Amino acid sequence: MTGFVTPKLEYVALLPMLIIFAGAIIGVLVEAFAKQSLRKFIHSLLTPTTLLLALFQVFANKDLVTTNAAINSVVIDGPVIIAQGTILILTLISLLFILDVDSFAPEASALPGSEEERKALAIGKQQTEIFPLLLFSVAGMMLFPAANDLITLFIALEVLSLPLYLMAGLSRRRRLFSQESAMKYFLLGAYSSAFFIFGAAFLYGYSGSIQFSQIRSAVVGSSGNDVLLLIGIVFLSVGLLFKVGAVPFHAWTPDVYQGAPTPITGFMAAVTKVAAFLAVLRIFYTVLDGAIWQWRPLLTAVAILTMVVGSVVALVQRDVKRMLAYSSIAHAGFLLTGVIAFNKAGLESSLFYLLAYGIATLGAFGIITLIQDSQGEVTDLNRWAGLGKKSPAIASAFAFFLLTFAGIPLTSGFIGKFSIFSAAYESGNIAVVVVGVLTSALAAFFYIRVIVLMFFTDAKDATVTVTLPTLRSSIAVWGTAFLTLILGVLPNSTLSFIENLAIFTR
Amino acid sequence: MNPYVPIIAVGAIGFGFGLISLAAGALTGPKRYNRAKLEAYECGIEPSPQAQGGGRFPIKYFLTAMLFIIFDIEIVFLYPWAVTFDQLGVFGLIEMALFILTVFVAYVYVWRRGGLEWD
Amino acid sequence: MDISYYLYLSAALFVIGAVGVVIRRNAIVIFMCIELMLNASNLAFVTFARIHGNLEGQMVAFFTMVVAACEVVVGLAIIVMIYRSRRSASVDDASLLRR
Repeated sequence: MTGFVTPKLEYVALLPMLIIFAGAIIGVLVEAFAKQSLRKFIHSLLTPTTLLLALFQVFANKDLVTTNAAINSVVIDGPVIIAQGTILILTLISLLFILDVDSFAPEASALPGSEEERKALAIGKQQTEIFPLLLFSVAGMMLFPAANDLITLFIALEVLSLPLYLMAGLSRRRRLFSQESAMKYFLLGAYSSAFFIFGAAFLYGYSGSIQFSQIRSAVVGSSGNDVLLLIGIVFLSVGLLFKVGAVPFHAWTPDVYQGAPTPITGFMAAVTKVAAFLAVLRIFYTVLDGAIWQWRPLLTAVAILTMVVGSVVALVQRDVKRMLAYSSIAHAGFLLTGVIAFNKAGLESSLFYLLAYGIATLGAFGIITLIQDSQGEVTDLNRWAGLGKKSPAIASAFAFFLLTFAGIPLTSGFIGKFSIFSAAYESGNIAVVVVGVLTSALAAFFYIRVIVLMFFTDAKDATVTVTLPTLRSSIAVWGTAFLTLILGVLPNSTLSFIENLAIFTR
Repeated sequence: MNPYVPIIAVGAIGFGFGLISLAAGALTGPKRYNRAKLEAYECGIEPSPQAQGGGRFPIKYFLTAMLFIIFDIEIVFLYPWAVTFDQLGVFGLIEMALFILTVFVAYVYVWRRGGLEWD
Repeated sequence: MDISYYLYLSAALFVIGAVGVVIRRNAIVIFMCIELMLNASNLAFVTFARIHGNLEGQMVAFFTMVVAACEVVVGLAIIVMIYRSRRSASVDDASLLRR
């Protein structure tokens, strides 16, 4: 019998993720031992500290490149560092909203409308498990792009998804609605991860290894037309495309975005996309690159479909959250053009796009939490009419984010779209670029429709008010607006930072 | 020595342990017969020809089932470790201690938040 | 016996699960179908491990089992929550979002 070699772990490379996991576990202990009244306070210190420590460590690891961080299971390279940094920064921003607004159920186990719930509300209870759940999810997201074999990829996918399923069901208002969205998210998410693992099984069957480097050499050395390989690619892609919300695997997106507590929706829309897209990019750029003629047509069709469906269906939405959900689907399509581009520019522009889109998304969803009536958030678009007169500052900020989504010059969205489309053009995928530009124009139409509604329509509904943002949400709203502007006007330093680091290590 | 001897020895010890426990219980334990003791054992449910409540279980069992899963998972990882215990050495011991500690954190959470209280 | 029969069995189980998710209406049954799909993948992994003569596939099967168990916990929590709210586990009754 051969002896086992004691595995070597590079703790420094793994440290950012270990910090987050440790923070999450301490968070669970806080839930177990701290007094009810103190819990939120402790979490409000613990969670940001954990995230900041991890961010600091990611920055310190900036020049680290290793494929051997945990016996070939975890790879740390430039794109991973950027992704982890982006994930942490975006989570910190969304934490400002999560801490600030009472969006979460007082007691998740109490039935909606029951006496128990009323009591919990009266004593100011809140389900503070949201914070450890958030940290677990962030840890999974940081691991997802860094995975270097199929098990790690799968485990990271589940670690990031399972807390999200739960968080989606914890909305304070319209709880039945929220619970339904959680069930829908869970059932479809579990369905897609079953496809994912089945695809992984066939990739393993094809190559005889679960390690990315060995799968790659098996794929490169073949004609790429093996049945096992094709089944593997298709099923694995289904699982990944579900996570990024691409058509035809997008059915969950609008419902979950609408039903989940709004700060969590922002978190899902912005941060999950970063993790999922980086994993998609790694798989298609470095593992399946030998089979590009097999997957490129598939992804091209999905990207075109995603852009068209996302933009067209968004036109007819009457709910702000649903509209932003379809807009996020359309953005997933734009991001897929970066995958199809299959060149270094595609990777760089995707990384920039994810950062820019994430910041703007957090800002937009953050503003939605501020528009309220006596029942809570107002998401019906018609009732947003005349908001520009009630609160010009907040409405302008929202309009600015919408213009960013549309990709108007001087916003970060323009730089992102421009660079991602030129990357796709460079690699000769003209059709995708044409569809992308056309749907962007179409998308601009519905964003501008909302702006017209806010500024040039008279208010019909006097009950809708803009709640005065507290210090934390002011920082978040104006900070995201400022960052979006900076990334739009002076993108060069960020772009060159990304350019220097964006090289996948195989 | 034949490699099967230790296995047979372990089997014999296991069998003996069962016998001794049963015998010790029968010899030393108090014997109080009542109606409940003579009934068929069905996890605390009143056995009856028709299942009560349409055969539905009280929701409390759900929590117990989920708790079971915590330890169920733990065992899955303990077996491979047990097989290579001597070769992994101190590293394996520390890693498994950390692993069990994290599982234990979940358990502590359940215990502190009243998940183990039956009523 | 030809080992590829196990792969056919695995594919068959996976298809049964995948179709079941689509046609059944009870959340618990849908969930059981998803578990069936995961276990079909496990069978495929173990079969491939046997074909390739290495242990990686068996190792993945362990992890898949664990993930399946975690999904059970989270999924049942969500389904039980819905059931208590509306006394039904049918996914058709959960239609507030459809409107």
